[in-house]
Amino acid sequence: MIAQPKKKKWTNYAIWFILPAFLLYTAFVIVPTLSSVYLSFTSWDGLSSNIRYIGFENFREILSSPRVHNALKNTLIFAFSLVILENALALLLAILVDQVRWLRNFFRSIFYFPVLMSGIIMGFIWMIIMNYNFGVLNQLLDMIGLGSLKADWLGDPDFALIAIILSTVWKAAGYYMVIYLAGLQGIPQELHEAASIDGANRWQQFRSITFPLLAGAMTVCLMLSMIGSLKIFDQIAVMTDGGPGFATETLTYIIYKVGFGELRQGFGTALSMVLFLLTLVISLVQIKVLRKREVQM
Amino acid sequence: MAKKSLMQMATMMVALTVVLSACGGNNGNNTSAPSNNAGSPENPTEAPKKEVSFTLAYATGDPSTKKAIETTIDAFTAKNPNIKIVNYSETTSASYLDWLKTKDAVGQFPDLVEMRDTKVFVDAGKIVELPEDLKGLFTLLPEYSGKVYNAPITGTAPQGIIYSKKAYADAGVTELPKTYDEFLAIQEKLAATGISPIVVGGKDIFHMGFWTNYFFINEVYAKDVDWNSKRTAKTASFTDAGMVQAVTDYKELFSKYVDKGWLSTADNQTASILVSGKAAQLFSGPWMFGQISEADPSFEFGFYAIPDRSGKVNINALPSLAGWSLSAEGAKDPDKVEAMKSFITFFFEPEQYASYLATVNGIPTTTAEVTYETGEQMKEVLRLVSDSSVNKYLGLANWFGDNAIPPQFRNWYYKLLQELVLTNGDVTEYMKKADAEYDSNVKANQQ
Repeated sequence: MIAQPKKKKWTNYAIWFILPAFLLYTAFVIVPTLSSVYLSFTSWDGLSSNIRYIGFENFREILSSPRVHNALKNTLIFAFSLVILENALALLLAILVDQVRWLRNFFRSIFYFPVLMSGIIMGFIWMIIMNYNFGVLNQLLDMIGLGSLKADWLGDPDFALIAIILSTVWKAAGYYMVIYLAGLQGIPQELHEAASIDGANRWQQFRSITFPLLAGAMTVCLMLSMIGSLKIFDQIAVMTDGGPGFATETLTYIIYKVGFGELRQGFGTALSMVLFLLTLVISLVQIKVLRKREVQM
Repeated sequence: MAKKSLMQMATMMVALTVVLSACGGNNGNNTSAPSNNAGSPENPTEAPKKEVSFTLAYATGDPSTKKAIETTIDAFTAKNPNIKIVNYSETTSASYLDWLKTKDAVGQFPDLVEMRDTKVFVDAGKIVELPEDLKGLFTLLPEYSGKVYNAPITGTAPQGIIYSKKAYADAGVTELPKTYDEFLAIQEKLAATGISPIVVGGKDIFHMGFWTNYFFINEVYAKDVDWNSKRTAKTASFTDAGMVQAVTDYKELFSKYVDKGWLSTADNQTASILVSGKAAQLFSGPWMFGQISEADPSFEFGFYAIPDRSGKVNINALPSLAGWSLSAEGAKDPDKVEAMKSFITFFFEPEQYASYLATVNGIPTTTAEVTYETGEQMKEVLRLVSDSSVNKYLGLANWFGDNAIPPQFRNWYYKLLQELVLTNGDVTEYMKKADAEYDSNVKANQQ
């Protein structure tokens, strides 16, 4: 019989080391989260001391509200578009900067630069670029004789959603590029050499070596971009304020608007519970699917 | 058309505070005009001599308002070195309510606050009644639940057409419209010259209220001032003939005569678009006069209220629940209360208040006579406010008491109207949506 290794007992020291972090985490994460669960069952306006329990009323309203349904639809459009476009562009950039020999660091810095900007600043820049009357984009179209293509990019429901998606991709792609680049640099060069000797062309090498071995990086990037996309707020608040009409309202946007602007903190918190569950479910499904195709080297 | 030099010639005018007494009936909303002069400028409240500090906040969106209030604060603290004012103000009008809520959430609700959502903060117990000895300073003080909570900073400013005199001349417009149909005919003439007739700052949702209120006042409130309370009681509907007419007119105007980029134009860009000659008119209030003159001092513009179809002039100018308010927390400290009362008294002293009103193009609210310089456009605003033949009302979200609408409805409704114009939707169908949302909001607020 082989003796089982003794489980290491926690020393008093360990508990004292963990305690400060645990208390902080409890005070700033666990307690607010639990109180949010409670508030989602109330009609609290966010100001008064009168907090009334109303059962599932907020959730019933969520199920029947066309505004919430529209915001959910927009959230999912944003999320899936951003995940696909951000990762496709990031992977492309990573491959390019991995192979380029000339000005390699310059290109890496340039592509990463938008990540350093705050969403608010980025939103303002794009808002100015796309402004109908004073924007660079319309002025450029005028200058090159394509004035007929001028549009109110952020004021037209057909373009506003696309404009926000493209500007967000521009901002986020550099971040995921860095993760993909790390993944690319972890792939042994010998694999490519061997494939090359066997007559595999570049596309075949990418499909059979690079892509499978990037699965770990891809899991991380897809997860992060999905969570980030579901929470999109800054760009919408600055660029369109949810408009025109209700065209770019997302769940996070109306959580803020109903909670703070419309004095319905209880309803806003119930919406945030829905967003939390949505993020959790999508993330779990993503992990389950993506983990299967990860290759251990 | 008057020459620029004439237009700009400042007229020393006595803006008698009786202007607001011409504001018709109280429409179910009580107002009081106390005669107590204990805190009047002739007998100003003495500031406490011990060191005291209080926090203050106001909406800083309008540059001229910011400048005027900062000047008053500086003058007050220079005169009362023992009183320190900690100025929290840092946000725009568009997000002022959100910002105040955030301040409250972090325990920094200002001791003295410019209040724009009185009902909300009274119901939450965040502000207290205006001290009795300050009430005598003002001609009219609107009440909420029988109590006065605000020292009105300025009177409700009516909105009207701010127009480019050059654009009107270029379009051959020689006379101002006497009816709404004549106003539409002017829009046709302007459009024919290739200029955008009207600029709208539709990106800022509050700006959408300007035109909405114009049509609502003419087609709904002018016929029934208690329409809002009837809607709450479900005895009136957004599908009523008057309301459908108002929204149909709104849709027609926005579809035909409003600048194409209106949905991505912010309120603070409208002055630039007007002075640049891209648009001929802006429907807004006197607070824009300063911004326009600052954007181009040589720009010649005029102001008028658009009449309704029958030629009557109805404007948004009744007193509303807004102004300086004392916080419940700040009111617990008698020294702070005295300091805040001193500030309010100082703020409304004729010399100080005149300078404030001249900077912001405001309408006086005090019993004491205020004399200040004003331009041609502001003269017209003051004439409208004091003219008893001009009917005064409030906008959709400014009514109070039984006529208050659910606070969350306003912005939703403005967005609905944007969508209606964008999708060329059916007015009655959209108004059915408005009825459903309104009832849902009322129900939610009763929980």
